[in-house]
Amino acid sequence: MSSPVTIIMIEDDEGHARLIERNIRRSGVNNEIKPFTNGTDALAYLFGTDSTGAAHKGEALLILLDLNLPDMTGIDILRRVKENEFLKYAPVVVLTTTDDAQEIKRCYELGCNVYITKPVNYESFANAIRQLGLFFSVIQVPQATP
Amino acid sequence: MTADAARKRAFWQILLLSAGLLVLVAISTTSVVLVNQARKASSLVVHTVEVENQIATLLLEIRRAESAARAFLLNSQQNFLREHEDAVAVILPGIDKLAAITSDNPVQVENMNRLRPAVMQRMAEFARAVGFVKQDDTPAAVAMLPQTGAGPAVQTIADATRAMRQEEERLFVARTRAADETQQLASVVTVAGSALVVLLAALSVFLVRRSSNARDAAEEQLRLNNLNLEATVQERTADLREANEEIQRFAYIVSHDLRSPLVNIMGFTSELDELRGDIFRRIASLANDQPVVPDTAGNLPEPALPAEDKQLSADFSEALGFIKSSIGKMDRLISAILNLTREGRREFRPVKIDSRELIETIASTVAHQAAETETTIHVEPLPEIVSDRLALEQIFGNLIDNALKYLKTGVPGDIRVKGRAKMGFIVFEVIDNGRGIDPKDHQRIFDLFRRAGTQDKPGQGIGLAHVRALVRRLGGTMSVSSELGNGSTFTVTLPAKWTGKSRNETS
Repeated sequence: MSSPVTIIMIEDDEGHARLIERNIRRSGVNNEIKPFTNGTDALAYLFGTDSTGAAHKGEALLILLDLNLPDMTGIDILRRVKENEFLKYAPVVVLTTTDDAQEIKRCYELGCNVYITKPVNYESFANAIRQLGLFFSVIQVPQATP
Repeated sequence: MTADAARKRAFWQILLLSAGLLVLVAISTTSVVLVNQARKASSLVVHTVEVENQIATLLLEIRRAESAARAFLLNSQQNFLREHEDAVAVILPGIDKLAAITSDNPVQVENMNRLRPAVMQRMAEFARAVGFVKQDDTPAAVAMLPQTGAGPAVQTIADATRAMRQEEERLFVARTRAADETQQLASVVTVAGSALVVLLAALSVFLVRRSSNARDAAEEQLRLNNLNLEATVQERTADLREANEEIQRFAYIVSHDLRSPLVNIMGFTSELDELRGDIFRRIASLANDQPVVPDTAGNLPEPALPAEDKQLSADFSEALGFIKSSIGKMDRLISAILNLTREGRREFRPVKIDSRELIETIASTVAHQAAETETTIHVEPLPEIVSDRLALEQIFGNLIDNALKYLKTGVPGDIRVKGRAKMGFIVFEVIDNGRGIDPKDHQRIFDLFRRAGTQDKPGQGIGLAHVRALVRRLGGTMSVSSELGNGSTFTVTLPAKWTGKSRNETS
């Protein structure tokens, strides 16, 4: 990777967050992971104090997004990220419990790059996250420049 | 208005009409009788006048005969004699006629008995006088004149005729009065009857108006009630639909949100399992001094433990195993609810379906299981239907799956699918010779997460609940008839031409 990628994890369930982090680490990915447990904080960080997203100019971001958040739906965040000129190149991985076909279609329409359903079966879950980690280690993430 | 009151009113109206009819008949009869009486009375009056007239005529003729006789006596001219004879000729028939018309009255008969001899005597006197003149014995005839002028016969004639006249006068007065009275009575009866009829008619009109008013009011009330009822039904339907949607949303959200903690429980349980491995390996290495090395495949071997530690490890594994299997079960239930709510939200589209082809396709997908259990599936000719294809596939797929799943052990399965059209509906029957269902469980098997009979097959207790929900959404009904050990028949009745509205919405 040309520059260290920061993984933004927006996940309200701290247990999930912990499990995701652990399994990502197990797959050998050591990038910085910034966890957020609600949409407001995540948006504040992503768009910065001036709400333009210019603060992350030149950084490489990868967003892990849960759809069920306490203060908003992940779809709102996805839409805003993909509409922002600085952030729209950041890959977004939607990682959620929802496996509704309509919801999945909607996310891809809005520009989500990967959609993963959290399986209750931990083997599958861990496997999915580890593969995601492998994916992270090979993916080329562009810098947030317009 | 109660039915009793209505019956009472009808009774009164009939009574009133009957009374009116009766009064009319009575008036008519009385009138006829009275008119007849009046006619009789009038004819009696006329009779009296006739009698008086006859008496006068008779007296006039007697006078004429007398004066002609006198004139003849005085100058013996033949024309007076002729006149006398003319008069005499009509006197006798006159007397007879008078006697005839007064024969009904005993008083007049008696008077006649006095009058007739007197007239005869008078006639005889005339005849004698005329006889004297004819014999040219005029003086003798003239001598008779004073005698004849005031003789007893003349006196008797005068008396008798006066008596007769008086009698007739009396009768005239009496009869006139009777006639008058009869006529008055007739007119009184007519007027009174007419008044009564008019009164009854007025009463009838009043009653009819009142009952028609009552009917109008009742109709208005009925219309209002209908409107209210319709509004209420619509309101309730809307409420129910809303409640149903609310439940769907609720079930979706709940089942969805339940999944999230479940992921954690499962995840950390698995982590605990990992930890268990680590902990007991540590214990083993502490006890054995032997380092644990991975085998060639990279897996760590189970640590060799003392007996008591082994027991601890087994207990630990057992506990984790129960937790994991429970989580697995819970996950399946939640998935089932999610699928059901998703199914409930799916839009159904009515299309023309060859139901026999559809069911044969289902049968071919389960052919493998059928062959394993030596089951034959017969699909009889089935009518065409307009309905939702996916829903029908799920309905019959579930029913045939169930039939295959719950066979009687040791008996080759026999599953039949029949169908017939009946009054705008198509009645499908899925008949098997399987283990059957106890009648007390017939309702229960359609409940979510409920099952019946020996629990030796995997399942969540969702299939039939789902099938019934689908059938209802397609505007149909379903039922089961079965006995333990004697197979089951599931009957599904669906509208032949479903228009895309469920039963609730069409009603």
